Amino acid sequence: MTADTLFDRLADVWISLDAQLEQVPVLSRLEDGTVTLDDYKRLLHNLRQQVVDGSLWISRAASNFDVAHFELRAAAIRHAEEEHRDYLMLERDFVAIGGSLDDLRSGRKNIGSEALSGYMFHYADRANPTGLLGAMYIIEGLGAQRAAAWASRFQEVLGLADNQVNFMRYHHEADGEHTGNMNAILTSGIISDEDADEIVRCAQVVARLYAMQLAELDS
Amino acid sequence: MGTTATAYLTGFGAYLPGDPVDNDGIAARLGGVDAVTERIRRRILDANGIRQRHYALDEHGESTELNEQLAVKALQAALADRGIEASTARMLATATTMGDVLVPGFASMVHGRLGGGPMQLLSATGVCASSLAALDAAVSKVRLGDHPVAVVVGSELPSRSLRQRRFDGFRAGMDSHFLRWMLSDGAGAVVVEFQPHPTKPSLRVDWVRQVSLAHENDVCMRSGMDGPEAAVGQTWQDVSIAEAEARGMFVLRQDVSMLDDLAEAGIQQFQELVDIGLIDVKHLDHVICHYSTNAFRDVAFDALRRRVPSLDTDRWFSNLETRGNTGSASIFIALEEAWRTGRFEVGETVLLAVPESGRFSFAFAHLTVVAPTTPQGAQK
Repeated sequence: MTADTLFDRLADVWISLDAQLEQVPVLSRLEDGTVTLDDYKRLLHNLRQQVVDGSLWISRAASNFDVAHFELRAAAIRHAEEEHRDYLMLERDFVAIGGSLDDLRSGRKNIGSEALSGYMFHYADRANPTGLLGAMYIIEGLGAQRAAAWASRFQEVLGLADNQVNFMRYHHEADGEHTGNMNAILTSGIISDEDADEIVRCAQVVARLYAMQLAELDS
Repeated sequence: MGTTATAYLTGFGAYLPGDPVDNDGIAARLGGVDAVTERIRRRILDANGIRQRHYALDEHGESTELNEQLAVKALQAALADRGIEASTARMLATATTMGDVLVPGFASMVHGRLGGGPMQLLSATGVCASSLAALDAAVSKVRLGDHPVAVVVGSELPSRSLRQRRFDGFRAGMDSHFLRWMLSDGAGAVVVEFQPHPTKPSLRVDWVRQVSLAHENDVCMRSGMDGPEAAVGQTWQDVSIAEAEARGMFVLRQDVSMLDDLAEAGIQQFQELVDIGLIDVKHLDHVICHYSTNAFRDVAFDALRRRVPSLDTDRWFSNLETRGNTGSASIFIALEEAWRTGRFEVGETVLLAVPESGRFSFAFAHLTVVAPTTPQGAQK
């Protein structure tokens, strides 16, 4: 065990995630300005299949926190409620760029999304799945720190209206708030050393699987 | 300030019913074969310069199609030109002076016949400028990101009410003859999208402007009323149908003495767009102007050329002489022909201008020809 704080350790995970994201083809094309409308459509299509599960695994996790973890349970319940309509925003964006709702809703998860979703549900089934704060750190962090820039860049390259990038824009605002709430939990003193190890481990796995979800479009 | 998308015209279609009818073929369809009417007709045709037009009437003057059918055929042509199905369209904006029925709205009838999927509708009514009002609505919704694909159609079938049976029993003045021998049937349509055509050039819509000067002008073109002012209890809906007909309320009329003022007001509106910088006369390559007769072509062309010295006749397009004056359909029918016959080059600009005599409305749209996107997504 080093003297690094939990935040330092999570920051290391974030740095390695950043390096993985640089290898994701659709994000490289986005940066280069060679991304197509079809890329954006595929990205939304792929994300949607996993995003619909978001509030489900958070709710499941909430149900597995005992009374000794009351604060975490309360936070998870709140968070699940806030997230469970998110995919509707994504669906509206998809339709606004010409996609078919039927196609979107009949889609299946890509290989990365299968792995990510499977892992999250599995983890949420544990008693007191505190490690999921690490998953939150990654997923909410992507929303707060990356989504708005992706939205702006998609708008710039493809000439999209705000109404066509609601999902990514919203996540910038909402996840910024969620990240703030989570940081408060991480510094509240209720996290034990064992919990901290679990949180970091979970963050590592989720970072890897999230990058895989973005890289494995349509797989 | 929010970010909007850009609207592009990516498909163009027109439909003109039946074979073209030359000036000698009009009387068989519309009637009016007495010596006086004959003489008036010749005079008006000489002045308006229309050589041929189309009617949804057979050689005996019986109707062959509905207005909504003309609209649907133009829309189908535009969708085919773009290579997409009606189900792709999320909005339909229609323009017409008079639909086939009083209720429901024209767009509902056109949508019902066109098919496709659920879509937003707008029935723009009025006269000629309702064409660009419909276009403006579709373009605005596409730019807002509310719809990826919209279709717009201008469609007219005035011939039915230009037949002799409408004129029997009362003495028609020049205010009705002028339109009777000028208007004809047809429809024109465009597809509006938030992305340019993937493989062919498109027309980017830079802006659409429409303004009414009804606050300072009397009614110029009318039907359904007795005299130029609407009076309580005296519209076609107030009196019996027989009385309305006897008083000539169902005849479409135009106060031709106001048309010089209309032309002058239109030129002023153009000048205002130049003054506020929306039109850069140094970079205006083409003008497609709707006008009812060649007399106004010369007035408008001369006035524009004083401001745009480079505007020669090659850059001025109208198909009034061969397609007739089809009201709100005219601007789309002219645009379709100009586009299909390759008049425009990538990078060039096009101004659509539609004056409406009804009660002095003026609509303009500024377009730029853009290349298709490359497979990588960036503009060429």
